Amino acid sequence: MADVELRAITKRYGAVAACADVNLHVADGEFVTLLGPSGCGKTTTLNIIAGLDEPTSGEVLMGGRVVNDLTPYERDVAMVFQNYALYPHMSVADNIGFTLRLRKRPRDEIRRRVQTVAEMLELAHVLDRLPRELSGGQQQRVALGRAVIREPAVFLFDEPFSNLDAALRVKMRVEVKELHQRLGITSLFVTHDQEEALSLSDRIAIMRDGHVEQVGTPDDVYAQPRTRYVARFIGSPQMDIFSGRLERRDGVAAYVVGSAAFEIPAGAAPAYDGDLDLGVRAEHVRLNAGGIPMPVRVVQPLGSMTYVTVGWDEELLTSRLLGMAHLPPGEAVTVSLDPAGLLFFDRASGRRVLPDGTLA
Amino acid sequence: MSRRWRARLRRTGILMGLVLFVVWTLAPIVWALISSFLPLRALTATPPDLAPGNFTLDNYLGVLSADRDLIGGLRNSAIVASFTAALALLIGSSAAYALARLRVPGSSKILMLILVTQMFPAMVIIIPLFIVLSRTGLTDSQVGLMIVYLSFVLPIVIWVLKGFFEAVPRELERAAAVDGASTMQTFRLVVLPISLPPLFATGVFAFIEAWNEFFFAVILTQSNAKTAPVVVAEFSGQYVSLYGQMVAAAVIASIPVIVLAIVFRRYILEGFVEGAVKG
Amino acid sequence: MTFDGGAAARPTGRSYLARRRRTGTLLVLPALAVLALILALPIAASLALSLMKADTADFRFGVFVGLENYATLLADPVFALALRNSIYWMVVEVAVVVVVALWFALLLNHPMGRWSVFRIVLLVPWALAPVANAVLWKWIYNSNYGILNFLGTATGVLPGPVVWLGDPALALNALLVAEIWKEIPFITLLLLAGLQNVPRILYRAGRLDGAGPWQTFRFITLPQLRTTILICIVLQSIWALKSFDLVYVLTRGGPANATTMLNFLAYRVSFQFGNLGLGAAVADILFFVMFLLALAYVRVFRPARAAERGAA
Repeated sequence: MADVELRAITKRYGAVAACADVNLHVADGEFVTLLGPSGCGKTTTLNIIAGLDEPTSGEVLMGGRVVNDLTPYERDVAMVFQNYALYPHMSVADNIGFTLRLRKRPRDEIRRRVQTVAEMLELAHVLDRLPRELSGGQQQRVALGRAVIREPAVFLFDEPFSNLDAALRVKMRVEVKELHQRLGITSLFVTHDQEEALSLSDRIAIMRDGHVEQVGTPDDVYAQPRTRYVARFIGSPQMDIFSGRLERRDGVAAYVVGSAAFEIPAGAAPAYDGDLDLGVRAEHVRLNAGGIPMPVRVVQPLGSMTYVTVGWDEELLTSRLLGMAHLPPGEAVTVSLDPAGLLFFDRASGRRVLPDGTLA
Repeated sequence: MSRRWRARLRRTGILMGLVLFVVWTLAPIVWALISSFLPLRALTATPPDLAPGNFTLDNYLGVLSADRDLIGGLRNSAIVASFTAALALLIGSSAAYALARLRVPGSSKILMLILVTQMFPAMVIIIPLFIVLSRTGLTDSQVGLMIVYLSFVLPIVIWVLKGFFEAVPRELERAAAVDGASTMQTFRLVVLPISLPPLFATGVFAFIEAWNEFFFAVILTQSNAKTAPVVVAEFSGQYVSLYGQMVAAAVIASIPVIVLAIVFRRYILEGFVEGAVKG
Repeated sequence: MTFDGGAAARPTGRSYLARRRRTGTLLVLPALAVLALILALPIAASLALSLMKADTADFRFGVFVGLENYATLLADPVFALALRNSIYWMVVEVAVVVVVALWFALLLNHPMGRWSVFRIVLLVPWALAPVANAVLWKWIYNSNYGILNFLGTATGVLPGPVVWLGDPALALNALLVAEIWKEIPFITLLLLAGLQNVPRILYRAGRLDGAGPWQTFRFITLPQLRTTILICIVLQSIWALKSFDLVYVLTRGGPANATTMLNFLAYRVSFQFGNLGLGAAVADILFFVMFLLALAYVRVFRPARAAERGAA
């Protein structure tokens, strides 16, 4: 059991910085996800936490002590790898028990503990098989088992589900979450899948070009993104962001995008006039509740909800309706924005503009 | 019409080329095999008397008889080649792994150096080695030969195994490190076991090279440690007119390595041939 | 207190990567030690030996004589002949082997030539012991009963039996044929591997552009194969200069030194005439030439690999 802290971690390869001044604290028992597109430095960060890679500068602390000079094993971390990294020449039982064998534990203790872990992960019937004789999901569970048997201080996951098909991925997500709830071990999880991050984490660290853009609970990063980048990365469908102007006409604020001017109620607009980006999620776009008339462009029914995309000029805006909505393309609807869901961003820096006009 | 003709002509040309290729490549070997089964009288007839009744094993029985050195030579070759291959694998596999994976300072320079040493003429090292071996009494001994053979087998083994080790997934080593394996344990318990087929194939390749070696062997051995190629060469000089036996000896000395090459062709083609082109 | 927070990360050699580097160095050392002992040291010793008067009478390093051995060589007509023979041997062998091997490789890369047995056919001469190869050709070239003379006279190509290995004008070429026959298969395999690396799409594009077989070869295959061919040329040059077994078994350098080349001359001077210093001088001249070729190999090799990395 331990907390993990990164202090000013920087990793340079020549002139390129894979990590630039990464600071992060993961509390004991917490589940934190490093989220970002490929090349953002999340896997490098994880490897540095694991001790598989060395930072150019900065410190990794676990349980309050600096562990920069410790090997992965000495740090007491367990890791689940993207391609499972199962030892192909060892049976499932030997894979799971390898770490105990290296620790020279007695044979029957190894057998007993492997058995316990295998039962927990529904692997008891395949213990004698080789990894290549298993299904993708089973291989993934062996990788989990290899980590679990250690009873480590920290769990590290490096995109563990990226080789699984969509259905299996959702199933494994449930298993990992359940595992964390049961064992309560500090976990760091790397992924590029925002849905995975939202569904699993206590907190999410969104990374971009080697630095952490925002750290927060799923609620935070979803509803209160600090930057345009985070706003766009989190949420499905992707948030619509417009490059318009905030204007005051006769004391009433309006957001102008091309030929459309959305009225903004007094409390919802920041004290600011001029160029601003506006982001709005689909669930905050209301149809046929007054507002500006626009034609429907595309309708995507998804069963429990329907995405309706309207458009004007060159702009598109997507609204989410619950249930199945039957709207023929071309039909005119009125569009208004829910003032509670409006996010304004400074165009140059990309940072969010708070209602008082300051930057987040 | 003319297009179809051209296509047909092309196919015929390629077919004839392939036939020519097979005949050119195999004819000398086929003739050697035939000759090795014919008695002297049939070989010296004009034209050679290829009547089926003439074929006999006498040449083989002759060269394998006790008073010829061939059996001893085969034994020496087998011992020297096996031990050279084993020794080269032992020393070479760990070096290859280190150079491929462990980021040893200067590893790319070391590798280039090893590649270049492989091309030095044997002549340039044999004179000093000969002096040292004579003074330590290691000439005409299997041990002396093994030591010298390492000079050309070890670089090949390192270079080839390096290519194979580079293909081992990095995450396996990382998983082992997380599981608590030291670098040596990772090598011994994870990397080596999954590299057994290429290790074995590299060993076979080293064996073939050592078995076929002649230059060092003819200089460093007189009687005790004579290898099969030395015996075959001597035989062809001593029994100049026993044509059938002379060729039979050459066939016997070649069969083990040709069989090995054919059995392990997949690795030779993938590992060595493509490695030489791709690096 | 070892774990003092706040200090900058300072590698103390205990981390995973540092341990790997350290173990790695330990793992490389035995091999390097062996190679130093049986390769580097002898090469240095050989250079020293060439400046000495030393013979096989007492097997020891002898008296320093400066460049005398080299001077002796330069004045020796046999050395000049051996040098000429070596160059002729290398040039002809490389040219014929590479051209024929390229032709074979193209045949075997054709859909009709993909049969795996053809590759096994190539492996047989390659794996054949060089000495066995020599014996085999000794029998083929036999002036009284050899198959070559029989076929030649029977078909009327040869007016009568030819003493292939006894005629100074023929012997070196006879040896060359035997050598070339044995060397073609491996180079064919190398070129075949190179051909298989040529992207299929280029051929399809060429066909769409209306290229005929010759144009395809000239403008697609050949440029793509350039590096492989260069590697083959350099490698084969090195191997050609190493030839020994054929000369030893078939002619021992004769007749009238017609088949004496540098490698064999070094052997003969050292181990038959017993003059180790002079032999070392011959070997070192050969070494120098081959070292240059090896450098050429590395040169060709490096850009190719760099390009490959860049593409990957």
